[in-house]
Amino acid sequence: MEMPYFPGCTLYRKAENLDASTRSSLAALGVKLIELPRWTCCGAVVPLARDNYMGMVAAARILADAAKMGKTLATVCSFCYNVLKQVNYVMQRDPEARQKLNNYLEEGYRGEVRVIHALEICRQNPSLRAAKDRGSGYLRGLKVACYYGCTLLRPAAVALDDAENPAVMEEMVAVLGAEAVAYPLRTACCGSYQVLHEGALVAQKVREIIASASAAGAEVIITSCPLCQFNLDWWQERFSREDGGFRPVPVLYFTQLLGMALGVPPGDLGLERHLVDPRPLLSGAPL
Amino acid sequence: MFLRSKGSEELIGRVKEISGQDPHLCMQCGTCGGNCTAREFMDFLPRQVVRMVQLGDARALRCRSIWICSTCLLCTVRCPRGIDVARMMEALRVINLRRGREALPVAKIPAGLLGQVPQMALVGGLRKLSA
Repeated sequence: MEMPYFPGCTLYRKAENLDASTRSSLAALGVKLIELPRWTCCGAVVPLARDNYMGMVAAARILADAAKMGKTLATVCSFCYNVLKQVNYVMQRDPEARQKLNNYLEEGYRGEVRVIHALEICRQNPSLRAAKDRGSGYLRGLKVACYYGCTLLRPAAVALDDAENPAVMEEMVAVLGAEAVAYPLRTACCGSYQVLHEGALVAQKVREIIASASAAGAEVIITSCPLCQFNLDWWQERFSREDGGFRPVPVLYFTQLLGMALGVPPGDLGLERHLVDPRPLLSGAPL
Repeated sequence: MFLRSKGSEELIGRVKEISGQDPHLCMQCGTCGGNCTAREFMDFLPRQVVRMVQLGDARALRCRSIWICSTCLLCTVRCPRGIDVARMMEALRVINLRRGREALPVAKIPAGLLGQVPQMALVGGLRKLSA
């Protein structure tokens, strides 16, 4: 099965390993991602000011282009997912915004594309379900903290799952034979782009999130957001340097864990790019 | 004590227009602040910022809180009165930004971070915090 795919700007630079592991792990599930022939950055954040139409132009352009390729558009970066889905929602429901954006773009797009996240592709995938039915346990009880953060879940109108009590990542982890730990801060915010402006805020959030996951016994954290991954990874590496007693928890993309379980060659997953090296922990798992 | 001035109605009107939210729905329960990602770093809790907007108090435009907000939307999804608090915070930011008052000039981004952060942080941060 082929599906149009929007990687997003970060996946071409700092998060190449999210892009590579998404393509390879979904390929292992029989889904071939076909990158849009032309695309730009989606804008990263949705404008919350109602009169900021310019902030929605890029995403509307991407969606209108995707409509020419098919009915769905796959993406994996949490920010891209949020922006595309929110702008699509506006194109479906706000006639004034729709007209303004279409006039600007010289398009007639009405929100007909379905934006789908790689986690949703996994949830629907029969190959992954078959793995569950066989009861196979690739990752042998590895304790995993699923970290959703903000943009997969909020606002509720575009949430990937229940905004307050999501389960899609935990279900995937269970299918792979690992154990999803329950911890309170899985839908908390890591501080996001405040890393540029108020580093102390992000440092505190990272400490809280890591403490919460560690207390639940997590050996590894998974996410689909390159900014969450960066914040959790970069600050933990710094805490480790400053305090020998700090025990960092590796932060992976969920697609890297999925790829390992599905037999994607580890060299294709970009595990070496993380600051807190996950490889010593994962070397015990059958690769 | 705060006394309304000529500018008060204008501020209330502009925040309503840009955010699409009615600040007067707020009953000051404080759920937003209790959930807020950045509460410990704010000079006024989101509830207090909303109160200032209800009154048309221009201190809402000058407080630090509006720039510390990470737009995580926890306040928005949990407000029992259905107010999109994050949109009100954004309205207060853009009123400043459109007058050229910004919180994050590029020169203030720590050099050690600039080459390391993912692109989305730069695009997102500059869109929210820079004029």
